[in-house]
Amino acid sequence: MTVLSEINRGLIEGNEDVVVELVEKALNNNIPAKGILDKGIIPGLRQVGDLFEKGEYFLPELIVSGEAATKALELLQPILEKSGTISKGKFAIGTVQGDVHNIGKNIVIMMLKGSGWEVADLGVDVSPEGFCSAVAKGDFQILGLSSLLTMSMPSTVRTIDALEAAGLRSKVKIMVGGAPTTKQWADKIGADGWAKEAPDAVNTAEALIREV
Amino acid sequence: MKKLTGLERILTTVKHQEPDVVPHFDSVAPNVREAILPGSSYEDFVEYMDIDAITVSDRRQTWSYKDLGTSKSGRPLKQCQWGATIQFTGPDTGIPMEPAIKSEKELDSYVPPDPDLSWRYEPLKRLVKRFKGQRAIIAGCTDPFAVARENLYGDVEYFAAMIKRPDIVDRINEIAVNYQLRYVKNSLEAGADIIFVNGDWAMTKGPMVSREFTKRFLAPHFQRIAELTHSYGKICFKHTDGNIWPIYDIIIDAGADGIHPIDPMAGMDIGEAKAKFGDKVCLLGNVSCAFVLVTGSVEEVRQEVKEVIRKAGKGGGLICMSSNSIHSGVKPENYVEMVKAIHDYGKYPISI
Repeated sequence: MTVLSEINRGLIEGNEDVVVELVEKALNNNIPAKGILDKGIIPGLRQVGDLFEKGEYFLPELIVSGEAATKALELLQPILEKSGTISKGKFAIGTVQGDVHNIGKNIVIMMLKGSGWEVADLGVDVSPEGFCSAVAKGDFQILGLSSLLTMSMPSTVRTIDALEAAGLRSKVKIMVGGAPTTKQWADKIGADGWAKEAPDAVNTAEALIREV
Repeated sequence: MKKLTGLERILTTVKHQEPDVVPHFDSVAPNVREAILPGSSYEDFVEYMDIDAITVSDRRQTWSYKDLGTSKSGRPLKQCQWGATIQFTGPDTGIPMEPAIKSEKELDSYVPPDPDLSWRYEPLKRLVKRFKGQRAIIAGCTDPFAVARENLYGDVEYFAAMIKRPDIVDRINEIAVNYQLRYVKNSLEAGADIIFVNGDWAMTKGPMVSREFTKRFLAPHFQRIAELTHSYGKICFKHTDGNIWPIYDIIIDAGADGIHPIDPMAGMDIGEAKAKFGDKVCLLGNVSCAFVLVTGSVEEVRQEVKEVIRKAGKGGGLICMSSNSIHSGVKPENYVEMVKAIHDYGKYPISI
């Protein structure tokens, strides 16, 4: 078994210590950091996402794998930056106004970071103005709007409207998600993408970044 | 059949016998109550609407909170009695932002709140004085899993510890369950008829944790609460949102007398639930408070109530409720219509 497939397996097993050790071993064997990310970590996380989707993995498994990937990225990030390898993209995410649910957003952040994205956590209960300010100041390609309550879904619409009104809408791709949301609703409110579950967020972000 | 009291109606249906009419109760947001009966107390409102049970919320009415000022977004921040920082977006909507315990060292020195303080039981005693024997008196009890995960240790840390440090999860669960067992005992001795254990075990997609973990970390603590409740000859309901198809048997085996709310947003059909486990537990639900009660017409509300009763009412074993609560976004006229429709379509023998 190659070190990359071992990293892959370590991630699926959610074994942080093993993954970190293997990433160090791979770097010592002169495997490029980008190769470790693209062939070891990302496919591992993708398989974890698939297992979650199939109902074989649950939140604990998803979280420990995400934590292991985040630790591995901490090792790789400085090397990737030094070698001029840019991140997959810049992603800002927050829970919309009137909603203070954290967990879905935090798992999305973990999965994105573990997949090589730069992620800014804008927090919870973020007002439309708060999202506008973040988009105006940062150079994010994707903005994620999370809502866990049916009641807070209108805040997502108000945020998109505020971005339009501020002339910022075309600056970012907007991705929405959260338990009560649907693809139809996302299309209806003018979002660019929708993620059903946290692992989907990575796939949706990757599809959206290709359009930027 | 003679007109039963709310309590009799619920006790009858829980025994899978047909009462006079399908029972109903719900947690109703203050703004909805105010729109229906301005200036009324919760107790007056329950009487006015002829609701079969009345509830004490442990989080809201029996936990203590300390003001911590406001959040960045201008919302009230409070420290709950467990030590977690809670951000509120409404009087009833608070979510823990920072848990009480952030390290093993903090766990070692953690001092839990005292469940025996007499003021905690004053709201319940007031209800007992006014409604005992007439309407079912329900003591809400936050599931030890929810207290441990949300208030004591934090979601992400708790889920990760289930795999990495199960010993820590066990210790934290024990803190939560020991308090709640004492709270339940005190509530039952103060006159509660029903213990309603709140706290989700599932999400829209499915259970939060595997069956193995549900049995290992969640069910045993709920079971202790159910057993204690049963030892007083009283009833224990379990609330969990989400798709519980893969774990409903675990909830039943742990001692639930009823399951709420048979979450339609997670694909739980109450007719299917009736067929699969409606003979073992009472079903509590499931008129959609995500859709029909918020955006539907009164006629659509009537139709949905009719459907719920048609699918799950026969033979008893149904308490017709919303699919979570009558929250602040529910149209007041829709809630009034829901209760009316339950009284209209829910008369036994069911003929719809």
